[in-house]
Amino acid sequence: MAAGFAILLILISILLWTYARSAANRTHDLLLAGAALSILERVSIGPDGPTVDMPYSALEILSLNPVDRVQYRVFVPGKADITGNEDLPFPTNDELSAEPVFYDSDYQGAAFRFVMQGRRLNAPTGAEWVAVKVGQTVEERASQQWSFFLSGLIGLGALSLIGLGFVWVAIRTSLSPLRQIAGDLRLRAPNDLSPVEGAPPREIRGLFDAINGFITRLDQSRSLTETFIADVAHQTRTSLSALQGHLALAVDAEDFDAMRARVDRADRQAARTVRLTNQLLANAMVIHRSDQASMHPVALRALVRDTLAESLKDSRMRKIALSFEDEGIAPGRDVIHGDALSIREALRNLIENAVRHGPTDNTVTITLDEADEQVRLSVDDAGPGIADEDLAQATERFTSLSTKTRGSGLGLSIVKAVAEGHDAELRLGRSSLGGLNVTLIFRRLAVALLLILGLGFTGPEAQAQTLRIYSATDTPAMQPLIDAFIATTPGATVEYVEFQTIDLYERILDSTPEEMPDVVISSAMDLQVDLVNRGLAQRVFLPADAMPPEWGTWRSELFGFTFEPAAVVYDRRAISASELPANHRDLATFVRANESRLRGRIGSYDLRASGVGYLYASQDSLQGPQAQRLIEVLGRAGLRIYCCTSRMVDAVARGELAFAVNTIGSYASSLIADMPQLGLHFFEDYNLVMTRTAFVPAASRQPELAASFVTYLLSETGQSAIAEQTPLIPIRPSAPAHKEIERMIAEKRGTFLPIKLTPALLTFLDVLKKRDFLSVWDTSLARLP
Amino acid sequence: MRILLVEDNDELAETIVDRLRAEGHSVDRESDGNEANELLRHINFDIILLDVNLPGRSGYDVLRSLRARSDQTPVIILTARSQIDDRVLGLDAGADDYMIKPVDFRELSARCRVLARRRSGSASNLFTVGAFSFDRAAKLAKINGQDAQLRAREVQLLEIMIDNLGRMLTKEEVADRLYTFEETPSMNAVEQLVTRLRKKLEGTHLVIKTARGLGYMAYVSDDD
Repeated sequence: MAAGFAILLILISILLWTYARSAANRTHDLLLAGAALSILERVSIGPDGPTVDMPYSALEILSLNPVDRVQYRVFVPGKADITGNEDLPFPTNDELSAEPVFYDSDYQGAAFRFVMQGRRLNAPTGAEWVAVKVGQTVEERASQQWSFFLSGLIGLGALSLIGLGFVWVAIRTSLSPLRQIAGDLRLRAPNDLSPVEGAPPREIRGLFDAINGFITRLDQSRSLTETFIADVAHQTRTSLSALQGHLALAVDAEDFDAMRARVDRADRQAARTVRLTNQLLANAMVIHRSDQASMHPVALRALVRDTLAESLKDSRMRKIALSFEDEGIAPGRDVIHGDALSIREALRNLIENAVRHGPTDNTVTITLDEADEQVRLSVDDAGPGIADEDLAQATERFTSLSTKTRGSGLGLSIVKAVAEGHDAELRLGRSSLGGLNVTLIFRRLAVALLLILGLGFTGPEAQAQTLRIYSATDTPAMQPLIDAFIATTPGATVEYVEFQTIDLYERILDSTPEEMPDVVISSAMDLQVDLVNRGLAQRVFLPADAMPPEWGTWRSELFGFTFEPAAVVYDRRAISASELPANHRDLATFVRANESRLRGRIGSYDLRASGVGYLYASQDSLQGPQAQRLIEVLGRAGLRIYCCTSRMVDAVARGELAFAVNTIGSYASSLIADMPQLGLHFFEDYNLVMTRTAFVPAASRQPELAASFVTYLLSETGQSAIAEQTPLIPIRPSAPAHKEIERMIAEKRGTFLPIKLTPALLTFLDVLKKRDFLSVWDTSLARLP
Repeated sequence: MRILLVEDNDELAETIVDRLRAEGHSVDRESDGNEANELLRHINFDIILLDVNLPGRSGYDVLRSLRARSDQTPVIILTARSQIDDRVLGLDAGADDYMIKPVDFRELSARCRVLARRRSGSASNLFTVGAFSFDRAAKLAKINGQDAQLRAREVQLLEIMIDNLGRMLTKEEVADRLYTFEETPSMNAVEQLVTRLRKKLEGTHLVIKTARGLGYMAYVSDDD
């Protein structure tokens, strides 16, 4: 039945799976098709043939899916490439049409889903086809497929449970006779061992009979126990009565000799009572221990040797010639499944019997040997032995055959109980030494050699771990963070290499896996997204309290850890606070109105040399047409360009510049801290915020150490260290604010516009797009490219 | 001998004390584990008879702290439990012997004498049993005042047996103690050596018993 159900379940699962797949594909294909369409719309015929102005919206559409990596290509089939990755795969049926064609394919080691779509353009040379391919990895798609599938299964499961409920009710009704039996047994007095009454249905008749059979056996066992207790009571009471009698007579004795004789007998009787009690306890113990719990592999040779050495200490053993013969058993073949305590007790009783019933110089030989799969333990002595006709009853409890030595009659019955508990055979017979031979025949334990394989477990080696960090951040800014991290991580050292953003990007692209660092940190968010989009990063699982805000993380691979707004740095001597433009539009107006005064005295980033500058400028262009106008205005006013924030601040401080726009606010703020003549300004409409991001390359050789460094950067302690010990600002606002700039940010909180870490950032990295953007910029600044 | 009995049952303690005093020993009795422990810090005894279940602290604990102070006084554990684990624990903790209650007084006296002999045999230079005496310093054994004429190996064996009086030694253990690492001991040589020594000790009360397949044990016959 279970197999049938399993097959049904598998069939339903396959159906659900297929359904979930097509549903997930439909949803995501729409996104792909939308992106492809929006790119095709921007294809046009330029002077050099077909060209494209990559729309920001295309990749933004794909960013609606927060996880997956993105690839695209725009080309003229069979003739020329326009932009994007040239080596994207083609569909199996590469018939190009105006309709989108979807296909799955592996690209750079990851599963991708692509769309290919074409558009016919009328060029001066005739009609021309332009095609676009857009692809996305399928992680989100797969997880959505899983989620569809699982919710289907859960529904199915709930339905099954309801069905099972009905089945349960049905079974309960039909098995009500069993409840009647249960009630009967529950209400029963413990001593009521009569059979259960009732007329059970045919299906449970067997169970009914089994219960009654068990009750009958329990009854028998209990009466055996009762007999044993009665026997024990009888024996001990008799023995104690005799002892008491002798002592009473001694008390009443007339003369010393008569008293002496009575006391002697009382002494002997006391010794017998002691022995009897010991043996009764031993008997009870052996029976109690005959359950499986006490059984373990036992090596008989060592056990017998120890027991014999122990018994030789007894002064009654001085004259006994005791010997142990174990030549008949090969080393290692003496292991049985047994209880050492019980076997020791049996052996001790056998030796004691020999000593008690035999002469003081008795010869006792213990032999251990093997035959086939048996291990035999025998005790021989040269005493009187037991007559053949008495052998059968010798092992019965309280049967003492010798009237002279008057044993308790328990010794052999203990041995018998041990034999039964071990499934061993007990043989009594005449010994070649003249007395009794008792042999216990155990089954040998097939010893399976348990080879515990060395797991090659090596302890935590005190090996120095070196973490290599490639970073586009000033070393002094990072040093306190690295020091604090090393302090909390024993044995770790950090190799910190500083780069400019673009150099770092190119270095990572050119690195072989062996050359990859363990952490890559850069302020150029778009370049970092591009590196991660190429599949170069690995996942890092951060604890929930260390997660950056949603805009500051992508794919669980790239994490922002700082909050760096673009800011205006101005010279208070050149511009009064009241003149400061409130927004970007006012800035353009202000510059145009004061063109002669500000000529050559405005600074900003060189977009060709600085990744951050390009990022700020390109994001500005998305905010509306006034951005383009601003660039033109600044160009006319003779904008001067710089590689970095520090140079711009220096120039403002020297009085060469009146102000600089799009400086990195956090740096600028710390640089001007001791220059009261300089001020920092934010706009009222919007202020772009960049975040410094870190990722762990897939080829890192210290992934765990690297992950713990990234976790540290975003942890409570790391974020406070950023606030307190570096010029940077933590991505999660610190309370209370540590720096003047943090207070300014808090005042204008709503105006800060974080740049989101999404594949949309790739738009401005598109070769054509970047070339066009920069050429417009060059033209505005009247520079030659 | 000066004996300490640590036993909390007054009736049993009284009989043991009376019995041992009757044999001429000086006996002190303690009923509390902590008090016994205190007493043992300050006074030396020849033998300690130690119950396991004691108020204050258990007999094993008393024994452990005794041994932790490097006090090697012989200890016999008296226990009412017959489980082997307890015994092993007692021996591991450093007991020299154990007996299960109710104890046979004759056997108890015999065990005490064996321990006392063993101790005096290894602690003092002169070991005397009736007409037999052995001067450990001079390596000289005498019977009735006459030199027993033991060879060097026999003297060595005699020393080993006296040190382990009342204790079973396997043939291998004897060989290990007799021969150095470089010498290849032959089990036959050990057997012959034991036979020769036993012959020379004939007539004295020092007996070397052989248990075939098990080993050798020396005991003093008039102690029993």
